[in-house]
Amino acid sequence: MIEITLSILQVIIITAIAPLLSGIITKIKNNLRFRRGQSIFQPYYNFEKLFSKEEVISKHASWIFRVTPFIVLASSVAASLMVPAFVSLAKTQLAGDLLLLIFLFSLGRFFLALAALDTGSSFGGMGSSREMFISSLAEVTAILSIFAVCLNLGTTNLGAISLHSAVKLSNIIAAGSLFMVILAETSRIPIDNQETHLELTMIHEAMVLEYSGRSLALIEFASYIKQIVFFSLIGTILMPAFISTSLVHNFTVFSAYAVKLLALCVLVSFIEVHLAKMRLFRAVDFFSFSFVLALVAIILAVLGV
Amino acid sequence: MHNYIFLISILLVTYYMVIVKRLPALVGGFRLQSLFLFFITVSFAFSEKESALYIVAGLIFLLKVILIPSFLTGITKKIKVNENLGLFLNPQLSIFIVLLLTYLSYLFTFKMMSFADKMQSVTFALTLCVTLTGLFMMIFRLKAITQIIGLMVMENGLFLLAVTMCKGMPFLVEISIFLDVFISVIILGIFVYRINTLFTHIDVNKLTNLRG
Repeated sequence: MIEITLSILQVIIITAIAPLLSGIITKIKNNLRFRRGQSIFQPYYNFEKLFSKEEVISKHASWIFRVTPFIVLASSVAASLMVPAFVSLAKTQLAGDLLLLIFLFSLGRFFLALAALDTGSSFGGMGSSREMFISSLAEVTAILSIFAVCLNLGTTNLGAISLHSAVKLSNIIAAGSLFMVILAETSRIPIDNQETHLELTMIHEAMVLEYSGRSLALIEFASYIKQIVFFSLIGTILMPAFISTSLVHNFTVFSAYAVKLLALCVLVSFIEVHLAKMRLFRAVDFFSFSFVLALVAIILAVLGV
Repeated sequence: MHNYIFLISILLVTYYMVIVKRLPALVGGFRLQSLFLFFITVSFAFSEKESALYIVAGLIFLLKVILIPSFLTGITKKIKVNENLGLFLNPQLSIFIVLLLTYLSYLFTFKMMSFADKMQSVTFALTLCVTLTGLFMMIFRLKAITQIIGLMVMENGLFLLAVTMCKGMPFLVEISIFLDVFISVIILGIFVYRINTLFTHIDVNKLTNLRG
């Protein structure tokens, strides 16, 4: 019973701080460019604004368009139930499979792509075609890199990842590969750019172009949750210590989690400031390199390094 | 543990060199690979207390990290072939073939050879893979300069084998240094030839200078 309470508490905390993470990344990026930047609570203000606005739905849109924001948000929240952030759920069997995590995200992505096609706008179609192109490359790599970590443990249960203690070389390389995938999945710079809505380059933004008001807020919230789920996953793989297995009243565990997230935020913002966006078809090279990294991690896991 | 890190870095850099499309990146990859080779030689010299290996490491640093890459960079700037690497296969297909080579060397090491030490078998598999990759680059790259780099990668793999397996056997080590010098002579020879053929089209003045 207490494990269930803990996991629900964990989901609440994760979803509550998810938008803050994006705010922090934006703030660090602006500071790196010697600008003051917006407040780190800006995503919350955006939600407030979007929830108070009227929603416009195209008259050609079907029920898929209306139902998609809820499915996307629900799949993200369900994924956040599974990831070991600061409470390990390995003993309770509540933590899900790694394949389930990947497929939950692809469920949301599938409906988002459908909804983008649904309204019949040309940008939506372009965005969903690009998103499918990117995700068909990214999913394989994500599964492979988590698989390398699971090979070290002998189980695909994500909760078990948090319980291993030895820092292994194959885990570090798998985390590097997963990090490249995360950059693409959260539409960060080498693949996509969150700051601009330029027609030629946008991928994720093109899909949600038709949404407004409350639906847009839900979709944005879902993408923030997706980001924090991936960050927690990579933090657990890289630094498996500092996971509490019993009670949540453990200040060091939570502050270690915060430090992990902050370190990843700094890394992501450095990458975003220092790199340029790739051409769409150069994304294949990006993913082939991360795919190779994941395969190297698997080779090393088989060799036992 | 740190030996593993260097070995894996060498393997990763080798894969990187198979993927890259531009000549400066290839030369940079070679420089990085040699740097990790230097690190691993120093680490073995330290752990085996072999003073001769320190000298060898110094030679690696001087020749393969500084002299040969900067020489290659200078040549690339001169002959202006930055963009085109002369790929016979596209990078994706080549990396799959190289991964297959890795699997084959893994199979060979663990089925055919029998090492008592696990570190030794891992090292043997990875060095075999680096050597085979060098061979692959020599065969499947069209430009002369990439073939030279493939040869150097192969030589790096052999050298890595000598250092890690035989713990700095003096004869092998000396042979490898001689091979280094030999290869740099080959590089010089082929590049002189290459500049000669290229400058017939670019600069008539230099053409007359070269041909006397």
